[in-house]
Amino acid sequence: MTTKIVETQDLHKIYDKNSAKPYEALKGISLSVEQGEFVGIMGASGSGKTTLLNILATLDQPTSGSVEIDGQDVTHLTFNQMADFRSKKLGFIFQDFNLLETLTARENIGLPLSLQNAKAASIQTAVTSAAEKLGIADLLDKYPTQLSGGQKQRVAAARALVFNPSIIFGDEPTGALDSTNARELLDTLTHINQQGVSILLVTHDPFSASFCKRILFIKDGKIGDEIDAGDKSRNDFYQEILEKLGTFEQ
Amino acid sequence: MLFKISLSGIKARWKDYLVLFSGMIITTAIFYMFEAISTNDKFTTGSPVGQSAKFVFIFGSILLAIITLVYVFYANNFLMSMRKHDYGLFMMLGAKSGVISKLIILETIAIGFISTIAGIVVGIGFTKVLSSFLASQIHMSLTDFSAFYMPAVWMTIIMFLVLFMIAGFLNARTFVKTSALQLLRSGQQSDWKQPKAIRLWIQAVLGVLLLAGGYYAMYDIRKLKLMAVGIGLVTIVLGTYFVFNSFFVMLLQGLQYSKMNAKGLNSFTLAQLKFRIRDYTKILSVVSLLFALALGAITVGTGFQSMVPKLAQGNGYYSVALTNPSSKLKSLVGDIKDKSTVTYQQKVDPKAKRVYYNADQLQAQPLKYSKFTDRAALKSRVSTATVSDLKKTDSNAYQELWSLQSPITKSFQIKIVHANTFNRINVKANKLLLVRANNVDASAPTLTKITNIQAKQYGSSGTQLMAGSFVTYQLLKGIFGSLEFMGIFLGIAFLAMLASCLMFKILSGAASDKIRFDMLNKIGTRRSTLKHSIILQIFGLFTIPGILGIIDVVFGLQMFSRGGLLVGGAYQTFGVTTAGFLILYLLYFMVTVMIYSRIVVPKTKVEK
Ligand SMILES: Nc1ncnc2c1ncn2[C@@H]1O[C@H](COP(=O)(O)OP(=O)(O)OP(=O)(O)O)[C@@H](O)[C@H]1O
Ligand SMILES: [Mg+2]
Repeated sequence: MTTKIVETQDLHKIYDKNSAKPYEALKGISLSVEQGEFVGIMGASGSGKTTLLNILATLDQPTSGSVEIDGQDVTHLTFNQMADFRSKKLGFIFQDFNLLETLTARENIGLPLSLQNAKAASIQTAVTSAAEKLGIADLLDKYPTQLSGGQKQRVAAARALVFNPSIIFGDEPTGALDSTNARELLDTLTHINQQGVSILLVTHDPFSASFCKRILFIKDGKIGDEIDAGDKSRNDFYQEILEKLGTFEQ
Repeated sequence: MLFKISLSGIKARWKDYLVLFSGMIITTAIFYMFEAISTNDKFTTGSPVGQSAKFVFIFGSILLAIITLVYVFYANNFLMSMRKHDYGLFMMLGAKSGVISKLIILETIAIGFISTIAGIVVGIGFTKVLSSFLASQIHMSLTDFSAFYMPAVWMTIIMFLVLFMIAGFLNARTFVKTSALQLLRSGQQSDWKQPKAIRLWIQAVLGVLLLAGGYYAMYDIRKLKLMAVGIGLVTIVLGTYFVFNSFFVMLLQGLQYSKMNAKGLNSFTLAQLKFRIRDYTKILSVVSLLFALALGAITVGTGFQSMVPKLAQGNGYYSVALTNPSSKLKSLVGDIKDKSTVTYQQKVDPKAKRVYYNADQLQAQPLKYSKFTDRAALKSRVSTATVSDLKKTDSNAYQELWSLQSPITKSFQIKIVHANTFNRINVKANKLLLVRANNVDASAPTLTKITNIQAKQYGSSGTQLMAGSFVTYQLLKGIFGSLEFMGIFLGIAFLAMLASCLMFKILSGAASDKIRFDMLNKIGTRRSTLKHSIILQIFGLFTIPGILGIIDVVFGLQMFSRGGLLVGGAYQTFGVTTAGFLILYLLYFMVTVMIYSRIVVPKTKVEK
């Protein structure tokens, strides 16, 4: 039996609820992500992808409905509890500005552990092992400005990985990269996923999505469709996504 | 059209504009106040030093104008950091650079105009309050002094409008020269480069050596004379700059290598500080130097002031001398608490130009006189005059008695004669009442009344010849009073402006820091941890120049006290002024933390 890492029930999100023009961005989303899955969320611009991800990542709260992550209901946490939850359970890779330019790669990667008040020595071992997994062990003492875009994203991935999170969230992590670097990061994510870490990726790029194992399509704040990679090759899956987008976005 | 969009951009950030405006208004008000008081003839001629005080005030004006310039520059930077994004967007949309330039100049001048007018109004109010307060503090009479003074209004308007016009054109130029993309993305990325270790070392050692050299020069002013000022000025300015550019960076780097760095947000806080200090080198150096200047000005100003009673009483033991006092004068003397009095008989022979005193009386109740034993330390000794002392015209005792003569008998010869001889002189004996107030400061109001009545009695030409040390007290109070006023005024104005410069510099960086704080929030940093880090960062940026400034003052005062300029302990008032200064500085620190946090700490998204 597999365990569920993320499970939501009937999520609604209404922006500007008390204003003259409230806007319902999510209209009842129920989904689940199993341990070790690599799930993609796709949809047109404005369909509610970032809204959903922010709620799953405890950066925002839903208007109604529930979110459980790693068996814990996160919808009723206080602001501090949400912060602590993120620092212990959730890894992040965003599109841009992932790293602090004033810190070395080593310090950037170790930051989440520092926030949990881990011992300096144990931080060092964790950072080194995460960096080795991602092949950036020799870059640890460089500053972000001395790294390429792809290397920066790998440092960000190492930071997301360093404390063994329950799940890693990515919002268009390849958005700011050229195709070579994007490819490299996606390979890295696949590699991480193969080691058993669950990943949830928001993207509107079919190429990025083709690396996922399952894709949820959002339209107007609702889940409209879902496809599974199964045993298909990545290329076949890519074609399928393109077709799906064709029919889906009409 | 663009004008409308521009206005809506301002509306959206009205709170930040409020900060900008209040800062500008206070600055203008301070400038107006200083101009109104210093250029107003009624004030300067009313004080005993007259024209020379005016010169000091003009010098102060120039210093104030310089710091105002620096201030407007930083406030303006803050303004532009808020507007970059909007203007970048306009350019992206194809707005011509000429149109943008016009908008920027218009906006800058409009802000300048509004704040100048408001500042003058506030300044008039300030002037009223401060001038009457200071007049009462330093016993300066400000009869028919009006807070509204047209020439000062014009000075202020011209000064600030010119400044804002320059600022507007400078802004427009930088904008037109930067690409739209850069403007849009500015503040999102910084070009942080790790400085080279060798250069850091050289600068750090050089900086510390220069500072030490400068401090030594000021300490050794007796040998170096005026050279000390020159050496001190150059070495301390350079030393401060290098110390900020390297020494503190290395200090922070040292901390980064310690175990502490891995705790919580420490690595981030230290790195931010290290980064900032290099980025802020210029402003931090200026802040610490101006901090020293301002604190020094106040300390020296109030230090002079506190010297006055000792200086006056060292010159003469008795405060006032009254010849045949009226009952009114007697009752005024009765009002003085903590005093000693003595009455002598005196006979005047106007033809021979002689004043006679009874030797027996002078022996029975001897005259006291004071004499400086160490003028530099303001130490004086009180002695009792013997009759034989009083007979020698070059003795201190004789000088004291001479100084106590009324204007009428001042030029007469003093004769001490036997009781028999004294009684045989065939004129009516005068009574000479000598009053010594032990606490001159406390009895000053009563003593002033007494001298005023005496001045009327002898005619105003006699004022300078009035008997007793209180006249000296009044004279010194007048001179040092305007020095003190200058010191306090410039000190507070400097501190207020330099602290706001630092504030605006920090706040200008808030927009780019917001991204960092957003990221930290995403990876799960508690808000309290973020705030803690903010407080530490801003505390560091405020404290380091403050400490350096205080050290500067400690050594700078050496120059005054050892150089003999500030007789008797320049450090007397140092503690009090520093404390007052720090409170004001602390206030600025707290305001900066508040505004900065409001900008960078991610808002709670929790809906309740
Ligand atoms: N803070 C907010 N206040 C009000 N409305 C919002 C807010 N954030 C998002 N919305 C609205 O909610 C809808 C969904 O936005 P969301 O950012 O989730 O879209 P998205 O799928 O991530 O789009 P994109 O692919 O362009 O990033 C949009 O119509 C948007 O206008
Ligand atoms: Mg989005």
